[in-house]
Amino acid sequence: MKKNKFITICTILVGLQIFSSCEKSFLEVEPKGIFIESNYYQTPEEAFSGLVSAYSQMVNEASGPKLGALNSAADECYTGGGGPTDFESWQVWNTYTLNPAVGPQAGFWNADYAGVYRANLILQKISGGIPGLSDELKIRYIAEAKFLRSYFYFELVRLFNNIPLITLPIETTEIYNITQANPAEVWSQIEKDLTEAIPDLPETVPAEENGRITKGAAIAQLGKVILFQNNENRMAEAAGYFEQVNNSPNYHLMGNYADIFSPDHKFNSEAVLELAHSAAFNADWSSFGLMAGNLLVQMCGPQSYTGPDYWSGGWAFNPIIPEFVASVRNDPRYKYIVANIDSIVNAEPGRSYLPGYMNTGYFMQKWLPLQKYVSQVGTVELNFPHDVIEIRLADTYLMEAEALVRSGTNINKAQSRLDAVRARVGLSSVPATLDNIYEERRLELATEGHRWFDLVRTGRAPLVLAFKGFVANKHEILPIPLNDTRNTKMVQNPGY
Amino acid sequence: MTMIISCILLFCGIWDITAVPSFSPSVENSANFKNSTYENLSEIGSAMEQQKHISGKVTDEKGNPLVGVTVLVKGTTLGVITDASGKYKISNVPQDASLIFSFIGMTTQEIPSGGREMIDIVLKEVAFSLDEVVVIGYGTQKKSVVTGSISSISSKELENLPITRIEQALQGRASGVTVTANSGEPGSASTVSIRGITSINNSDPLFIVDGIYIDNGDINFLNQSDIESIEVLKDASSAAIYGAKAASGVIIVTTKAGKKGDLQINYNFYYGTQAPAKKLHLLDATEYATLRNESSLAAGLELPFPNPSSYGKGTDWQSTIFNDDARLQNHEMSISGGNDKSVYYTSFGYLNQDGIVSTSISNYKRYNFRLNTTHQVKKWLNFGNTISYTHTKRAAGFDPNTEFGGPLSSAVNQDPITPVIVTDPNVLNSNPYNNHPGAIITDDNGNPYGISLIVGQDMTNPLAFAKTQLGNYFWGDNIVGNVFMEIEPLPNLKIKSSLGGIYTMSGNESFTPLYYLSTSQSNLENTQNSREFSKTLTWNWSNIITYSRKINQHNFSGLIGTEAFESSGSGIEGTYIGLPVFNYQYSSMNFSIPPTNRIALGQESQPYSRVSYFGRLTYDYGGKYMVTGIVRIDGSSHFGSNNRFGTFPSASFGWVPSREKFWPENNIVNLLKLRAAYGVNGNDNLPPFRYSSTLANNGNYPFNENNIVIGYSPGAPSNPDLKWEQTVETDFGLDMTLFKDFNLTVDLYNKKTTGMLLAINLPGYVGASDSPYGNIADMKNSGIDFDLGYNKSIGAVNLNLIAITSYNKNVVTGIGVNDYLWGGGFQASAYEIARSEVGQSINSFYGFKSTGIFQTQDEVNSYVNSSGELLLPNASPGDFRWVDLNKDGLIDEADRTFLGKPVPSWTFGFNGTMTWKNFDFSFFAQGVSGNKIFQGLRRLDIITANYQTNALTRWTEPGSSNSYPRIVDGDPNSNFSNPSSFYLEDGAYLRLKNLQLGYSLPDALIKKMRIQKLRFYLTSNNLVTFTKYTGYDPEIGGGSYSIDRGIYPQARSFIFGVNLAF
Repeated sequence: MKKNKFITICTILVGLQIFSSCEKSFLEVEPKGIFIESNYYQTPEEAFSGLVSAYSQMVNEASGPKLGALNSAADECYTGGGGPTDFESWQVWNTYTLNPAVGPQAGFWNADYAGVYRANLILQKISGGIPGLSDELKIRYIAEAKFLRSYFYFELVRLFNNIPLITLPIETTEIYNITQANPAEVWSQIEKDLTEAIPDLPETVPAEENGRITKGAAIAQLGKVILFQNNENRMAEAAGYFEQVNNSPNYHLMGNYADIFSPDHKFNSEAVLELAHSAAFNADWSSFGLMAGNLLVQMCGPQSYTGPDYWSGGWAFNPIIPEFVASVRNDPRYKYIVANIDSIVNAEPGRSYLPGYMNTGYFMQKWLPLQKYVSQVGTVELNFPHDVIEIRLADTYLMEAEALVRSGTNINKAQSRLDAVRARVGLSSVPATLDNIYEERRLELATEGHRWFDLVRTGRAPLVLAFKGFVANKHEILPIPLNDTRNTKMVQNPGY
Repeated sequence: MTMIISCILLFCGIWDITAVPSFSPSVENSANFKNSTYENLSEIGSAMEQQKHISGKVTDEKGNPLVGVTVLVKGTTLGVITDASGKYKISNVPQDASLIFSFIGMTTQEIPSGGREMIDIVLKEVAFSLDEVVVIGYGTQKKSVVTGSISSISSKELENLPITRIEQALQGRASGVTVTANSGEPGSASTVSIRGITSINNSDPLFIVDGIYIDNGDINFLNQSDIESIEVLKDASSAAIYGAKAASGVIIVTTKAGKKGDLQINYNFYYGTQAPAKKLHLLDATEYATLRNESSLAAGLELPFPNPSSYGKGTDWQSTIFNDDARLQNHEMSISGGNDKSVYYTSFGYLNQDGIVSTSISNYKRYNFRLNTTHQVKKWLNFGNTISYTHTKRAAGFDPNTEFGGPLSSAVNQDPITPVIVTDPNVLNSNPYNNHPGAIITDDNGNPYGISLIVGQDMTNPLAFAKTQLGNYFWGDNIVGNVFMEIEPLPNLKIKSSLGGIYTMSGNESFTPLYYLSTSQSNLENTQNSREFSKTLTWNWSNIITYSRKINQHNFSGLIGTEAFESSGSGIEGTYIGLPVFNYQYSSMNFSIPPTNRIALGQESQPYSRVSYFGRLTYDYGGKYMVTGIVRIDGSSHFGSNNRFGTFPSASFGWVPSREKFWPENNIVNLLKLRAAYGVNGNDNLPPFRYSSTLANNGNYPFNENNIVIGYSPGAPSNPDLKWEQTVETDFGLDMTLFKDFNLTVDLYNKKTTGMLLAINLPGYVGASDSPYGNIADMKNSGIDFDLGYNKSIGAVNLNLIAITSYNKNVVTGIGVNDYLWGGGFQASAYEIARSEVGQSINSFYGFKSTGIFQTQDEVNSYVNSSGELLLPNASPGDFRWVDLNKDGLIDEADRTFLGKPVPSWTFGFNGTMTWKNFDFSFFAQGVSGNKIFQGLRRLDIITANYQTNALTRWTEPGSSNSYPRIVDGDPNSNFSNPSSFYLEDGAYLRLKNLQLGYSLPDALIKKMRIQKLRFYLTSNNLVTFTKYTGYDPEIGGGSYSIDRGIYPQARSFIFGVNLAF
């Protein structure tokens, strides 16, 4: 009997022993549905997904669409929305009461630096070697990543001026030792990346790759980067880049101005750099931040609209300022810029909408949520398919004209570019003076996110935006986000 | 009852012990220790005359012999102690001497010998005896020799409490334990913390039910009547046996086992009605319009309501959501019994509780079933199991503490001008009522519910809102159980293997009808039906060997064990968009929907496993000196291979000076026990795989519209050196019996948590989309816990009073490179309203300071900095005079400071029971003090939101107010949008939690009815609350750190109940 008990004990002890020898594998669990960085970037597909994560930051709308914020800051629109603190980060840019804590800066900064990080990382991974990645793809991915990095730095430097320049993923130990770079260094890094990317980018892409970066996009961007540095000695250089694009057989001005912005004419002949959006992701609120739809379209629709044509659930952002409306009323592009919802509603009984905050009755025609683009699957609000054409041919025409005039080189060429843009909408020629070119930009590119940058880079902002509270030598750039001045070596921008 | 399960367990020891003759207590043994240890007590009075011998036996009330009882001849030092069979023999006793029998945990008795030579005596237990057995983790121990700090609650204390969740039983009953209801919503859990906030990232104690880890802390599957005892292991030395998971303390719940004997049936029932205890005072329509006019006018805008008095009283939105008669009922029935071989306990319970806010969408139902059995298969083999099944169903109407819409928040913020229902044809023919066909929610008579065009945003008509939520509920099926086998191959050597686990299936059903509640709250296109289903399985398998041995006065017991734990889970959710029906009652997934409108999501939880080795050694010498040592080694899959294991040791000591011979017999301190303990515990609470860098899908890009490519990039930088966070605690305690009737326990503790696992807030320029984790922060908790009990029978009245109180001080002592940690935002405010900073209590309120209100423009103009510039250029009379705290001549975010702490310093509870004949009466009150509450019921970002009536005392003209600023649209001086002490209120309260009067039918009567017990009672919960707090309820749990965003208040209830046993 006693012996049996000992056998029992021994069995259990042996059992415990076996159990403990299993312990190592028992604790080494494999993640489910998560890739570990050390095992990733092992195939061309994984490299591409890394590149795509950088691409996605060009359209990251988790903090709101950049375009709407820029419209709010310019003399085109008010912020509007549901109330004075609805989208406060835009409201305070509209009223120029932004401070390091409140404003659009954190959204821009974080999204752009995330893009920088992802571009840096994929460059590092590709240079480290990715099994199976052909040289051809490798060269193209590197060029795209460099374009993307330069794109994000261009956004950062023109919005913040004083920014850290990071070209490799930051070592954990270095995180809090980063300092802001001299802006000149940033500009030259941007130009370097673009210059290196241009030869390796494709002239055109097949339809299924629409949205991938092309040579034309990079060249136009490089011209724009030089133009934005306001160095009169380099204007001829900038004009040269714009000319390459403007003379390219790949691009033509669209015959019909309205078609440029229609989701039915995506990647049209006027699009040089187009930021893609899509309804096909069928996003719902749980995938907010990963959505592919254009949130601006949702935000800028009239509230509780009743009647044909428009989606009924808009949020009333970016009502157009009446003075701006008056100033474009006689332009042939007026009806493609301004939707006078008040007059539409008043014209027929049974139509109505609820005015939002600072409603003017004028809405942005280019971004209106037309009923026919209301998504049938997924959350309507998150699935408007409208693309944003960041650089379009009319823009590069006008930028070339501006650069030529500012360099004083080929005024005739400048005149012909300006004329071409005007002729498209049936306007006659006006002299290619800087004022006329700027005025043309204001009309041609209205509510497309260029106005604020144009006013700032040409020094007209303090005057034109005084009515909103713009303070010279302060509001040309945004404050460094509060979070990034905590525990770091960041120095706040002057005036904030 | 007095047995100890414990032992020594050294493998070599097993062989040694077998060589010793089998141990059996004998008179010989006791004679030995008498001679060796107690000889000094005897023979001193031997010179006295007329001496004789007295012998006898001392037993307890159940007839069990009491070993070690001191028998003393009164007035002398002559004495002996009883042997292993409870017998004593004392020589040379004076003829008419009295004998004093004393024993720890027993009432001391004095018996005149009266010439007798044979005196047998029965000692009675002292109520709240230290001789109770307490559960200490993987075993039990006599309370008298416990060296750690453990609070214990028995089934007796739970019996008559009409509570719906077990955590509530701990509130105010165990010192050092803070229990705060997350909300008053039926089915809502409570937040439990033991001795303060132990860790920034998770301070929930570990729940162990019948040896099973309840890893998610949700113990809603438990039925109150099934509980045998709840033990709270408060200090690190007690909790060390659970090492890695025990930093925030351990709560051990033991369910009832059957008892030998006749089949016994218990039935408990109660039924009651609940009502809100308090309504806020809000502005009526006229007052509202007046204030809105004033606010607009002050901003230079047009008057929105030219004729305020035309609106009359308007709508009282609170009355639309509150229910003054929400019903509550509970049934619990158990059957238990057994014989020498097998015992069983089985029970069934049913709870149905309606909520007091928006009753149609706040109901909770629970069904429980339990079967516990134990079988004595062989003399040396036990086998048993516990198993319970619980089904819960909870209406998923709204978040119980949110400022973003929902019935409560809407009722507070919605304007009183909008009517509840709209009948005016002119209004009905206008936007939005005439639009959105099929989406305007109507009452049962078809009248559209009023839609506010004044307030809007996420505030909605609460009645309309409730109608849109009717098809939504959560459900859960929990199976919790274990099987165990215990063998005793040698006397006192026990080997036990126990496998337990929880299998939870849970999910929710939801139907989204078409609705239009406000401009921003609408669903106009498609109805939607979603079903979510998930299951989790956690199991733990423990193997323990215990050995106990008693040699003379030396009691040893030892334990070693191993344990493994694993959890896994998965879930799936499906949504049908565009159902052909518009009402939840007809919603079904049987409808045919095009495949593009059927959406599925799924997920798996990340694997998590732990492996543990542990040992415990306890020793005591005659119940006088005691020591316990514990070591536990835990490994967790949450850490990389370099830091996978952590070691958690502890040691504790006890001494009972009152059992020393030098302790004078006195009537003041009858018993004194001193304890000292030191221990280390851990916490592995962090998301999985944080030691490596994982890829996240954090951005996609649609090439050519339809070619959406999923993008991956690392979410957060890795931290391969992550390790356990560690809590080291020292505890000094004393247990006393004073004046025979008072029991006092005092514990002083100091607890340091280091290397707290925390997400690191990275600067944005790093470009990470997610935060990495690090062992960053340190914190200290120190405090003192008092338990005072009083137990007395005065004539036919039995009185039992318990008072507990605890003081806790929490200080953050380190937060790494951070200046502070974000402690919570509020509404749309850019500023955090609380932060954790070194030297401050966790999540202390943080904001601007004002020195009152500017009364005149002169005061504004003279508020300047050293260079003569206005400090507050946007200010006007009636605005707060914000203080330039850092004196830099500028008022900005750097001028904020700490304004108070959300965690109470003091928690207290008073519990009294009185019985007289067949009546019983009890009360229980509980409270806290020393904390502040952020009263955030009004939405600041909605300027048109309604006000509480204190807004009527706002500043209007010089001298009108120095505490409530003027109201003005746009709030240029940020009077309201700056977080400041304007929103902070004293959070102290004392609440009469329960008041009860019961009557039990007399024995004589019920014997005839063949029943054992029949008791009726009337009780009230939350009858009175004393507080200065102006919100609904000062009890705000759920990890919100006293930020009231519109908490669902606790109900005041009146309940009738029956206890029946036969």
